[in-house]
Amino acid sequence: MNRSFREWSVWLVLALVLGVLAVLAPAFFDPQPLLSRLTREAPTLVVACGITLVIISRQIDISVGSQFAVCGVLAGFLAAAKLPFAVVLVAAVGAGALLGAINGLLVAGLRLPSIVVTLATMVIAREALRWWRQGQFVNLPEGLQWFGMAQRTGQWTLLGFALLVLVSMAFGMKHLAAGRFVYAVGSDAEAARLVGIRPRIVTFGVFVLVGALTGLAALMNMVQSPQVDPKSGAGLELRAIAAAVVGGVAISGGRGSLWGVFGGLLLLVTINPALTYLHVAPYWEKAIQGAIILLAVVADGVRARRINE
Amino acid sequence: MSKPSFFSRTRGWWRSHEAVLLVVLLAELVFFSSAGRRFGTADNFFDIARHSTEIGLLALVMTPIILTGGIDLSVGSLLGLCAVVFGKLWRDGGCSPGIAGVLTLGLGTLAGLLNGGLITGLRLPPLIVTLGTYSLFRGLAEALTHGADTFTDFPASFLFLGQETWTGLPAQAWVLMVAAVGFWLLVHRTTFGRAFCAIGWASEGARYAGIPVRARVTLAYGLAGFVSGLAAIIYTARLGQAKADAGTGYELFAITAVVLGGTSIFGGAGSIHGTLLGVAAIGVLSNGLVHIHQPREVAGMLTGFLLLLALAVSVLPQWLSSLAIRRRAAQGSQSSPPSTP
Amino acid sequence: MEPPLLQLNHILKSFGAVRALKGVSFSLRPGEVHALLGENGAGKSTLIKVIAGAHSPDGGEIVIGGERLSHLTPRLARHHGIACIYQQPALFPDLTVAENIALGVQQPKFHQRMRWGRQTLQARELLKRVGAKIDPNAEVRSLSMPEQQLVEIAKALGAGARILIMDEPTASLTRQEVELLLAVVRDLRTQGVGIIYISHRLEEIFAVADRVTVLRDGESVGTEPVAGMDEATLIQRMVGRQVSAIYPPSESEPGPVVLALRGVTCRASGVRDIDLDVRAGEVVGLSGLVGAGRTELARILFGITPADAGEIQLFGKAVRIQSPQAAVEHGIAYVPEDRRKHGVILDMPIAANLTMAVWPTFFPGAWLRPEAERLHALEFIRDLGIKTPGPQALGGALSGGNQQKVALGRWLAIRPRLLILDEPTQGVDVGAKAEIHRIIRRLAKEGLAVLMISSDLPEVLGMSDRIAVMREGALAGVLPGGASAHEVMRVALGQTQREAA
Repeated sequence: MNRSFREWSVWLVLALVLGVLAVLAPAFFDPQPLLSRLTREAPTLVVACGITLVIISRQIDISVGSQFAVCGVLAGFLAAAKLPFAVVLVAAVGAGALLGAINGLLVAGLRLPSIVVTLATMVIAREALRWWRQGQFVNLPEGLQWFGMAQRTGQWTLLGFALLVLVSMAFGMKHLAAGRFVYAVGSDAEAARLVGIRPRIVTFGVFVLVGALTGLAALMNMVQSPQVDPKSGAGLELRAIAAAVVGGVAISGGRGSLWGVFGGLLLLVTINPALTYLHVAPYWEKAIQGAIILLAVVADGVRARRINE
Repeated sequence: MSKPSFFSRTRGWWRSHEAVLLVVLLAELVFFSSAGRRFGTADNFFDIARHSTEIGLLALVMTPIILTGGIDLSVGSLLGLCAVVFGKLWRDGGCSPGIAGVLTLGLGTLAGLLNGGLITGLRLPPLIVTLGTYSLFRGLAEALTHGADTFTDFPASFLFLGQETWTGLPAQAWVLMVAAVGFWLLVHRTTFGRAFCAIGWASEGARYAGIPVRARVTLAYGLAGFVSGLAAIIYTARLGQAKADAGTGYELFAITAVVLGGTSIFGGAGSIHGTLLGVAAIGVLSNGLVHIHQPREVAGMLTGFLLLLALAVSVLPQWLSSLAIRRRAAQGSQSSPPSTP
Repeated sequence: MEPPLLQLNHILKSFGAVRALKGVSFSLRPGEVHALLGENGAGKSTLIKVIAGAHSPDGGEIVIGGERLSHLTPRLARHHGIACIYQQPALFPDLTVAENIALGVQQPKFHQRMRWGRQTLQARELLKRVGAKIDPNAEVRSLSMPEQQLVEIAKALGAGARILIMDEPTASLTRQEVELLLAVVRDLRTQGVGIIYISHRLEEIFAVADRVTVLRDGESVGTEPVAGMDEATLIQRMVGRQVSAIYPPSESEPGPVVLALRGVTCRASGVRDIDLDVRAGEVVGLSGLVGAGRTELARILFGITPADAGEIQLFGKAVRIQSPQAAVEHGIAYVPEDRRKHGVILDMPIAANLTMAVWPTFFPGAWLRPEAERLHALEFIRDLGIKTPGPQALGGALSGGNQQKVALGRWLAIRPRLLILDEPTQGVDVGAKAEIHRIIRRLAKEGLAVLMISSDLPEVLGMSDRIAVMREGALAGVLPGGASAHEVMRVALGQTQREAA
């Protein structure tokens, strides 16, 4: 009970916000705009799943936004060259995993702090992409958008896919030994070593996984539009981390669940349109996002203090 | 278990780190002067100084924070917020640039103290606190300008600070120099700097020695806020405009300059002169690449690689000594007597 | 006779200059409880860490399951059926009891399913075997220390350990819990498990152990069946050498009372109702077992974990000490136990370490005075006989004894009125140890009140004008300076009343 209190509280707040919206701005629940909004955030959910694992293992990755852009442009190019979709998929996920592996090698192999490592790889990937593309969009062949299906069907497919990723990741974290290893390493790496877990391999694996998921997310983003924007993914890392922190993942590692993160992300993506519907200017989004992050960590800090005393 | 020889070696190594950086900087200068025709002119060096001042200020104030083992990701966003507030006070609030400047510095200091207070008061990790304020400060700047408002047409007397020369140097270079001297004295000549290092090496050890750890850490973040405000004013004067996106990504350049300058990301060891060399190396590199007709992105990429390289080099001695200890353990021999540095 | 489960031959292990194990041999048979005894710092913890694979020995061999090995790793140790229950439970605070037990019991592969229903049942079953009433779905973070200990034992049971190491498993248990635990140990013995049992409670050793090995100063004093031993013999073996005359004699006359404690209590650190006086010019030894609350008392007096009840008086005036800075202003100095972590900042020069406690007065206006600092350092280096290449050498470059002198010098610089020393000579070589003792004597003679925490019995006996003995967070008794090792040990072990002859 105590353990999932934090997750429940997020869903409770979300329910409250939705309740207020239902009364004050019922237009928020119009099915088509709601579906579009949720679909747009489907890739964020996939990235947030990866980031959650990274934070639970007591690391951080702020390079996912750049990885996202690189994978997206790469996938766009391959798709434009009329390669089969399976090849594009493998390439996007593979490129993400490779970028993640570089982070993982530097963090787990050389024991460098993940915040600075991923700061550096973020810049390198972003600048390299900008150098290569000079901000130009990649035009995709026809028939790729929404997998060649009707928009509605495509949106439902993507949404279903994101939820599938969430459910299978949540299953893995709960029911596979690998998931428990991630919690164990984040909770106490030395104790993990004493029960025979290899913390560095787990850390490396988590970085590879977040990279692969980011590649997948880039592909899910690509099929939503006729072009690939090389600047897509800017600020994605912050949104994903915010979702995790708001969803109750402890930045000090070892605690949190994907269900909470799902709630946290829904809460964050509800805020901005909610503001529009409630006639608050939309440019407050980032400030409110920051305030929510601070509120979440302060609440966790106060709670931790009270438990200690 | 740390070995005596390792510590004496580290000490020599930090000193030589700055020497290596100086050589890199000189090599950059020689290379670009020979490759680009307009590079070696006084005007160009003024240009480099103008473009490096804000990042230089942020790097200076980031040094004490990293010395304590912390980090501040919010300085770039705070620069943006302060620039917008400054513009708003001047244009809509009817303040003179002087009054607006003082109020902006006050706001910056308060924002920095907010970071420091959350970190020390609730023992929250600096990384996540400043990530939150990174978003908060930038968001407030966007909200104040409704995302698009730009403040321009500042009086020439104010723009002087960012665009003119005074006694032979760009006006803001004097500010940077005063700040550099001030921070050098603070870090290397007072007990405050000592305290930063002691906290970075062993925060519990510093507490056991009776050092007021919380007050010192809060001070470091408060200073960062103040200097972010100062950098915002100079930024506005240099470009003649204030926008919500001012200083985007500057925190990265500041951190890179500090780590490149030999300050350990784990805290404890580092120097202000190293940071200044780091700032100069980055500034010259990005300017010089333009002169040899390389796109700006190359400078960004190289900065990222430099950061990784500096980081890898900084853990090298630790890595070597752990290797040596393992080898010694394998041989089962006793430790060697302490070596003289 | 059956071949031993485990055989250690001439194990060597050093930490820097400290030789923790000097060629210890040890054997464990199936179905025996083998007690390991020794004073604090005798090498017990190091030995069990070697067996559990957490430390790799510098020399010697380990024979297990017919294999001769130079060292073990945690994985290898588990493979051979070794399970270890440390004093500080090595559990994941963020995971539930069942999850902790599951991770400890099997060594799952990455892709393996964790079957929670079955594991919760298994956890419940194992917890029942150790007699613990703990919810398997509770988070370990929310458990008390003894509860965590029981989870550790359940985990080891589940792993089907053939060699079980228990490092003071009963240190924080109640009588009833101890009885249950001993029953579990006996039960395991009949199943052929070999148990290495470490405890300071001698009655437990007589109740459960078959053989006993006594360690002293990193060497084995011998292994014998428990049947033929009595408490006096065991204590004699642990204490070993007679108190020699190497300790400088007390020369000072006790002056006025400097520190007076009246019912001092700190619930958070488990110290209760301390009444104690320390006079000027007096060395009061503070003895007791590890975990008896000695360091915790020192941390109260230095304001790190402030007292929440009772009264602290300095020179007859009640004071409140809420932070180390406040303690320093009152003239209280504390040389902490862990000098590498708390006493000296290893990466800073000796000169900087020596002035660290006197910044406000030594550096007016926060302005460093390198030359004055250098002279100050040279004075202390000469005065305390610190062996160093120079005042700019880093703290980490010195030997343990010289680091300790730097830690001491830092506090002498504030001209304290009360000096608290926590294990002042732990891990210090013999020569430096004698020097530190002479310095302590000299300071007492100059009128300083000294409270010296030490686990080194001869040191306590040799140095103290009075000996205060703590047990389980409270003061168990104050003995005069001439008390014997036996008496101190008996009070520390809580056996005063049960003394027969």
